[in-house]
Amino acid sequence: MGDSILDMYLYETNTLLEQLDGILLTAEQADTFSEDSVNEIFRIMHTIKGSSAMMEFSSLMTVAHRIEDMFFIVREKGMDVVPEQTKPELFDMLFQAVDFFRGEIEKVENGDPLSQSIDNIVNKINSLIDKIQGNPAAPAEEAPAADESAPAAEAAAPAVSAVNQDYPYGIHAFFDEGSGMENLRAFMLINNVKDYCGDFICVPENVETDPSTSDIIADQGFFVWFRTADDRSSAIPGVKNAGSVREYQPVDAAKPAPAPAQEAPKSEAPAPAAQAPKAEAPAAKSAPAPAPAAGQQHAKESLISVNLSKLDQLLAVVSEIVITESMVTASPDLKGLRLDNFTKSARDLRKLTDDLQDVSMSLRMVPVSGTFQKMNRIVRDMSKKLGKKAKLTLIGEDTEVDKTIVDAIGDPIMHIVRNSMDHGLEENEADRVAAGKDPVGEVILSARHTGSEVIIEIKDDGQGVDLQAVLNKAIRQGLAQPDHEYSQKEILNFLMMPGFSTNTEVTEYSGRGVGMDVVKKNVADVGGTVSITSEWGKGMTTTLKIPLTMAIMDGMEVSVGDSMFTIPINSIQSSLKVTAKDVIHDPAQGEMVKIRDSFYPIIRAKDLFQMSQGYEKIEDGILMWVEAGEHSYCLFVDELIGEHQIVVKPLPNYVNSFGVKNYGITGCSILGDGSISIILDVINVYTAAHNIF
Amino acid sequence: MAQISKSEEVLFAREQEVDNYTEQLPEIVTEKYLIFSSDSLMYGIKAEQVKDIITDYTITYVPHVPNYVKGVINLRGQIVPIVDIRLRLGKPDQNNFCGIVVDVEGSMVGILVDMVEQMVDVPLDAILPVPTSTSQAMVSGMCTLPDGNTMLELDCELLLHD
Repeated sequence: MGDSILDMYLYETNTLLEQLDGILLTAEQADTFSEDSVNEIFRIMHTIKGSSAMMEFSSLMTVAHRIEDMFFIVREKGMDVVPEQTKPELFDMLFQAVDFFRGEIEKVENGDPLSQSIDNIVNKINSLIDKIQGNPAAPAEEAPAADESAPAAEAAAPAVSAVNQDYPYGIHAFFDEGSGMENLRAFMLINNVKDYCGDFICVPENVETDPSTSDIIADQGFFVWFRTADDRSSAIPGVKNAGSVREYQPVDAAKPAPAPAQEAPKSEAPAPAAQAPKAEAPAAKSAPAPAPAAGQQHAKESLISVNLSKLDQLLAVVSEIVITESMVTASPDLKGLRLDNFTKSARDLRKLTDDLQDVSMSLRMVPVSGTFQKMNRIVRDMSKKLGKKAKLTLIGEDTEVDKTIVDAIGDPIMHIVRNSMDHGLEENEADRVAAGKDPVGEVILSARHTGSEVIIEIKDDGQGVDLQAVLNKAIRQGLAQPDHEYSQKEILNFLMMPGFSTNTEVTEYSGRGVGMDVVKKNVADVGGTVSITSEWGKGMTTTLKIPLTMAIMDGMEVSVGDSMFTIPINSIQSSLKVTAKDVIHDPAQGEMVKIRDSFYPIIRAKDLFQMSQGYEKIEDGILMWVEAGEHSYCLFVDELIGEHQIVVKPLPNYVNSFGVKNYGITGCSILGDGSISIILDVINVYTAAHNIF
Repeated sequence: MAQISKSEEVLFAREQEVDNYTEQLPEIVTEKYLIFSSDSLMYGIKAEQVKDIITDYTITYVPHVPNYVKGVINLRGQIVPIVDIRLRLGKPDQNNFCGIVVDVEGSMVGILVDMVEQMVDVPLDAILPVPTSTSQAMVSGMCTLPDGNTMLELDCELLLHD
């Protein structure tokens, strides 16, 4: 139970910090806080203060409290109280505070002790408060006034949130609407609960004697607070069985803070409308990024958070259903039978399972905006540190991808953005002006769908990649042969080799030698590919192509001997039959075939996978022309079985420990008849074939 | 009354004798083992690790794994690798089809054996350490069975990791 409260706290605080980051970035661009954002920051700080206090994270609480105080003043007096010259200081302090909170939250997550020395940041806030207050003829009692009004705000929201600290575990119960005599119903509920546990307090009190509580209960519900979570869980049956209880939910004393928080947007119904112009203002300054963030906060109200493992479970069950369904409808027992009704029902079932699958997949889809928004902060920080003016443009941040993918691409994108800021953009503004470019550098982060893939591009308008420097370095590192001619594509690929970093100096942000190779690996882990294009003087574009979802995909079944393999449909160009005449041999016994004016190598699956069965003669089998990433080739297999929607299952770890992934074996799937088909990864098949032959 | 069972004996024991029985009983801590044979040796696996005994299944060949990994099977929707213990221990191949599915460190592995023999209760203190320490043998202990054979306790973790 304690863990789930902590989880809730962490989730909530992280969400709030993200919101705060977004607000700050917008505000900094506009160089002022709009009334809404002041309210929002005040609310966020208030919530963090309240919940941190509940969790007994006193350092977090103190800092949040001071910031809240400060914004109380700003809220009362308007943004004008902040002297123009203090504004940058204010923004820096707030960013620092966000980082402080993030750091502390991370410590909480890892179970590390929290830092006790918060004097530094608190002093900064205090001095800012002094400056703000010193500016207008603000009376000295402003600060205590702020202190008082903070709890007052708390009280103004459901009065019931004033909790006895000793009874932090509550149940919040509502009675049937219009049931009447809520106070007596509450009294019955109390009696019921007494059967399970005696030690609790309730809000409002004296329900049996004071009929006026009836309205309060009808309005705000009835609270029962317990000393321990165990007491609460044991009392739940009592609440459940009490008459007329419409709904009840466990609440923790940390909740009173979110309660007013949720109230706030509601009472400020015109807020979204008011926020729109606010968002437009910075948008005019070519920062459309934070605008959706504002809308997002309101959308969140109707969201629930679900444990990811439950979704995984759901998806696993749905996958099994999909398989079982095709096992039933394609059962060999049905062969030769004419079953009109069965066929019709089977078709309906198929449609429903398809829908079920779509819905359960969509549950895991989240927009990339969260990941993208974080880059705002990185660009801001780095442009300050490195003294390079830069702006970040986000395109298509509503694009939805699987949660696992979002998690996996966060670090790679961050790395590439840092690279762009550090190596990509010119050191001096003068260089940019001389090249006829806007003095302010631009990094464009875009996401879009193409059928089965999501494509994420990180593009900068910097100096681009110096191919010669990369090649020289690659030769120095022993990655390239000095006497070999490399194509531009090949040279750019050196950037993604382990241990390669063009910057001779190690900076705070990049150049540690781990770089693009890690990006490539992370992206490959979710089945994606990375490619780099660059034009000298114009900039560089890094493209991540990631399959939309990994759990279920369309695959083409092919057979070799009595083994079945699945090739992802999206990497298949076409299939073709050729005769021995069409096959061109090279001196190294390699085989090639010419398709539409280009030559493509032939890889024989039978040889690559050392199989005993399978066709030898090229006429007997079929060539699958496949393409993925940089490679395009033909895979020779026995037969084409057909297209299937398959559920990707990972191979057992034991099998993976032999490195079969390097031979292009990424997973397997269970076919309708219960047999197993091995899923091939087109890129690794190619590299494996290259290494072997 | 000659065939009086132990529990009845306890039931009818006189007061001072009861102590004798209650003291003796918990001393024998036994563990169930599944005994199987491979290349004329008897091996035992803790029964709690055994998830299934399989005879009817199709092995899907997986390329580029050592020869003792025969492939994977579909066990009720789970993908389970199959290890031939003969080949794993460097013994001659024989077309075995009898498999024991065991749970090793949370993942399932099928082990191909010559024949599954029986279940026995083995007193824990009867399992003796192996005198030689050749890890290739994958045996973590041995014990003499009631029928006079010697059971080698198979260390499934060692079987999977080199």
